Amino acid sequence: MAVAIIMPRQGQSVESCIITEWKKQEGDPVKEGDILFSYETDKASFEEEAKASGTLLKILAQEGDDVPVLENVAVIGDPGEDISEFLATAPENAPAEAAPAAESAPAAEPVKPEAPAATGTVQSGERLKISPRARMFAEEQGVDPSRAVPTGPKGRIIERDVRALAAAGPQPAESRVPQGALDAPPAEAAEFEDVKLSHVRKVIGSNMLKSLQTMAQLTNTASFDATQILAYRHEVKAHGEGLGLGNITLNDIVLYAVSRVLPEHPDLNAHYLDDRMRLFQHVNLGMAVDTPRGLLVPTIFAADTLSLEEISAQAKELAAKAREGTISPDLLQGGTFTITNLGSFGIESFTPVINPPQTGILGVNSLETRVRDVDGTAVPYQAMALSLTFDHRAVDGAPAARFLQALCRALTHFPLLLAR
Amino acid sequence: MTKKLLIDPAKMLQPGELTFADIPLCTYQKTVSDVKDEFTREELVHIYRDMWIVREFETMLNQIKTTNQYQGIEYFHPGPAHLGIGQEAGYVGQAYELTIDDYIFGSHRSHGEILAKGMSAIEKLSDVELVNIMSNFFEGETYNVVLAHTQYSDTKDIAREFLLYGMVSETWGRQTGFNRGLGGSMHAFFTPFGIYPNNAIVGGSAPIATGSALFKRCNEAPGIVVCNIGDGAIGCGPVYESMNFATMDQLTTLWEEGYKGGLSIVYNIWNNSYGMGGQTSGETMGYQEVARLGAGLNPQEMHAERIDGMNPLAVIDAYRRKKELLAKKEGPVLLDVVTYRYSGHSPSDSGSYRTPEEIKLWEEYDSIQTFGSQLVEAGIATEADLKDVENQVRQDMIWAVKLGKDPQISPRLDLKADPDALADMMFTDLQIPSMAPDRKPDVLQPYEDNARVKRIAKRSRTAYGPDGKLLSKNQVYQIRDAVFEAVMHKFYTDATFVAYGEDNRDWGGAFGCYTGITEAVPYHRFFNAPISEAAIVGTSVGYALTGGRVCSELMYADFLGRAGDEIFNQMAKWQAMSGDVLKMPFTLRMSVGSKYGAQHSQDWSALCTHIPGLKIVFPATPYDTLGLLNNALNGTDPVIFLESQRIYDMGERFQPAVPTEFYEIPFGEPDIKRAGTDITILTVGATLYRVVEAADILQEKYGVSVEIIDARSLVPFNYEKVIESVRKTGRIVVTGDACERGSHLKDFAQNITELAFDYLDAPPVVVGAKNWITPAHELEEYFFPQASTIIDAINERIMPLKGHVPTSNQTEQHQIENYKKGV
Repeated sequence: MAVAIIMPRQGQSVESCIITEWKKQEGDPVKEGDILFSYETDKASFEEEAKASGTLLKILAQEGDDVPVLENVAVIGDPGEDISEFLATAPENAPAEAAPAAESAPAAEPVKPEAPAATGTVQSGERLKISPRARMFAEEQGVDPSRAVPTGPKGRIIERDVRALAAAGPQPAESRVPQGALDAPPAEAAEFEDVKLSHVRKVIGSNMLKSLQTMAQLTNTASFDATQILAYRHEVKAHGEGLGLGNITLNDIVLYAVSRVLPEHPDLNAHYLDDRMRLFQHVNLGMAVDTPRGLLVPTIFAADTLSLEEISAQAKELAAKAREGTISPDLLQGGTFTITNLGSFGIESFTPVINPPQTGILGVNSLETRVRDVDGTAVPYQAMALSLTFDHRAVDGAPAARFLQALCRALTHFPLLLAR
Repeated sequence: MTKKLLIDPAKMLQPGELTFADIPLCTYQKTVSDVKDEFTREELVHIYRDMWIVREFETMLNQIKTTNQYQGIEYFHPGPAHLGIGQEAGYVGQAYELTIDDYIFGSHRSHGEILAKGMSAIEKLSDVELVNIMSNFFEGETYNVVLAHTQYSDTKDIAREFLLYGMVSETWGRQTGFNRGLGGSMHAFFTPFGIYPNNAIVGGSAPIATGSALFKRCNEAPGIVVCNIGDGAIGCGPVYESMNFATMDQLTTLWEEGYKGGLSIVYNIWNNSYGMGGQTSGETMGYQEVARLGAGLNPQEMHAERIDGMNPLAVIDAYRRKKELLAKKEGPVLLDVVTYRYSGHSPSDSGSYRTPEEIKLWEEYDSIQTFGSQLVEAGIATEADLKDVENQVRQDMIWAVKLGKDPQISPRLDLKADPDALADMMFTDLQIPSMAPDRKPDVLQPYEDNARVKRIAKRSRTAYGPDGKLLSKNQVYQIRDAVFEAVMHKFYTDATFVAYGEDNRDWGGAFGCYTGITEAVPYHRFFNAPISEAAIVGTSVGYALTGGRVCSELMYADFLGRAGDEIFNQMAKWQAMSGDVLKMPFTLRMSVGSKYGAQHSQDWSALCTHIPGLKIVFPATPYDTLGLLNNALNGTDPVIFLESQRIYDMGERFQPAVPTEFYEIPFGEPDIKRAGTDITILTVGATLYRVVEAADILQEKYGVSVEIIDARSLVPFNYEKVIESVRKTGRIVVTGDACERGSHLKDFAQNITELAFDYLDAPPVVVGAKNWITPAHELEEYFFPQASTIIDAINERIMPLKGHVPTSNQTEQHQIENYKKGV
């Protein structure tokens, strides 16, 4: 029996995805688990596996098409099978369920997008026993809860089961980073090359332009004595493993310091909305990550409640997923303040661009050796500069400077901060 | 219980016989001619007029109920109408002698009492006083309607219209009625004229009126109290309890000079021979004459008399004589006022229990006919004069009925436009530290001189010593000390404040909360009540609604069954039923027991939370006890204050220390006793300490972090803190010592399910006591929640715990089987 392949929903906030490449063509045989196509949202890219075996009878959406989630994009079945029912409703209003629903229901019957069958997964027909909380969490994480191993009473999937699933990674399929489709015209190949912008690139571009056009941005730079953080990092490297501590980077230390200092400067942990400021209770730290597809900014939620080790672990995991392109779009939003680090490129000072509607972004620069006068002797020490860009509509210069000063102080005396 | 009085065996065992004085029966036989010189013509005609006002009002209601019209005015009244046609002489005779300082309390059949007392008050008050009363009542809302439509210019005439209109519109549930239409026919009253609540529970006014008399005595307020109940009410326990309360010996033997003597109250029994249809004398009672009861209650036989209630002059005479006795504090008085209602119990009465001949016989004694004839015979009035009086009354009644039925002029509470109007009247929510700020509280010693106060000052206000270890119980400030401090503080700040209950004085309360108060506070503010739970609660209701503040006590929560009506129908309802004219600054302390088996170990909180109008708190720490009791005793609402006998000796384990300076804890705010991340446990009362034990085990053995929330209050309750916790943890157990079925724990669980459904990882699980009788102390661990049962429930219903071996059966199957069995 023919089944429809739908565009999956990746995260609550995603309404449509762009098909970047079909890996199978009409008429190709398909085995369950084969990669059918790759697609992307404005923030991440994914690959879709076949949930059924058969022949790819029909492709309903082409590469580059922006397809609403849960709509049919293809049909798999046996050669010669009647697939008209899928064609009749696509792409306007794809039926959520396969053939049986069609016999009595009129074609225009509204779909139930949330129904399990609509996910295209082959369910045994048994109702999924899952707690409301676990279901909500699965949706947030963009994982398929039916894959969770239930450990709750009477086989109920509970929160910890979905957490375990999310921690194991959302998709078993190996993901590949899609490249922007090359579309080089042969005649002018020698002079230049036109590279079609990826969706991600377009979004970055428009966001950055909007940021600079609509905000009153300016940047302050200050540096602090990095002796203590270097010593601390050295200490962790030397002895941390015995205590089960992972590698903690200088960037992790800056993230941690910001998470602890920022709550005292609520105007910088905020969204500037046209008629009001939204001040946040927790620090959701955006963390700029350089990926093959461009800049991505995953979020460490409630960083102020996490330990240094937890921040470090999350930062690592988020960066890895962002680079792999497997990160859930829900983790690419919700930031209240952003940190971007160009220190490893030897940058000594720069003006980071704010990610709207946030009110600030902190740029981390490279270490440099400075000297200071100690009793008439020039004593060298390691210093690090921080560049804070802030939106002057939201924050005045002095309060912004106070934040930067507090942050530098906290980092100078970093071990003291760990008490918080 | 007092060492001042000796129980002498020689006297107790002395042979002899009891003798009784004669109880007079209808000795007054005078007619108008005999008293022509004692009353003016006007007074005699007014007696006749007032009896007509009562009869016309009752006739009007009867016609509307049975024919949907009165004098051609159509109206439909679905509510009650218990009429007293035939009983007019009693009503008017009683009211004649009473002033506005004399308070009457009535029954479901009290329209006549209200109208007669109102007419009497209007006669006695000056025009200025009348205008003041009318224009201040509900900011003149009722008065303005009367002024806009009055037929008269004389103030007394207008006041008469005000009385009729207030009654008619109240009976019909109009906002312009005497109680915003929230009392209705059976509950109308008007305190500025000394008319206090009428009660639809038979005999319900007896304890309340007694409490009002107690207020007058304790606060040296002028006037007497009249408790109007019927002969049918004599079968009700609370009526006996009340009469016993008013006669108790300590009032003459132990109370201080100036406060000595039986309470100044008349138990006025309207003896119409029927309790609905049951014939009292001859069928359902054994007294034959109500007056006989007086002989059973005290040596003064309650100055009991049978009065001819068909003759207003006989009733006036009786009240003149009895008021003199009461002025000398020689009460109480029992009056058996013989009367008869021709009208049915209510319009639905088919008269199946009596013959038409009997009614006819009584009609020959009709008070209006008889008194009218006497007036003519005595040359006081002509037949034409009497007809004029009747016509005038009818004209006023028609005027009032037309106004009262008009929905524009007399609207009902608009619950469509203002859906919270009634909700906002359920509590008065005021903070009034003293109900009589101008008066100095009467105490026996300076606060600091009190031995218990000094002893408490030496105690540690935290349970822990400087080394972090628990101090011995004797070293610490305990929950019973917190109860003491709050109550003592109120004794020294509010002159009206009284506290009583069984074994409160001398003994210091069964659990030692009040030890030391005996030395500090005189009898008339702090005394032992008889073992009469209905009277204890009912008198407190009367004390509070008359204007005082009271904290009474039921030794065990199990005893609240003995005071069911007084808690559920009286304490809870009078604020809202009066349109908040009345306040109820009444805290009822109730101790939840343990160790003492099935009738002494029950948490009956849910019985109280089910009834709208009560605030219910159940603290479990010294800090919470002091803060919540301070709040209860500063407020104006009725509070059920639950305590647990398990923990009276508990020191403060959660706050750094119990403050020495005065503080209050707002009602309705649960308290996070320990923060956690994996599961929330909401606990009520003493179960808190078993929850702490469970939380420690869960953390240590299973790595589960528990957030402990102490409900502290049951009504009101702010769910936000609990919901916030559940959003975080996703899991919740609700626990307390009440039997699970129908408990407030179940109500908590239900609301949490509704309010936090999407955040729940498992349904809220209730761990209460079993639906059994409480077994012997040695078996209580199988009955009440324990740390182990809480953990078992979590393992079975919420999140299986690795390696946990349950010791109790918490399975769904067991639950289903139990409910099948009814346990």
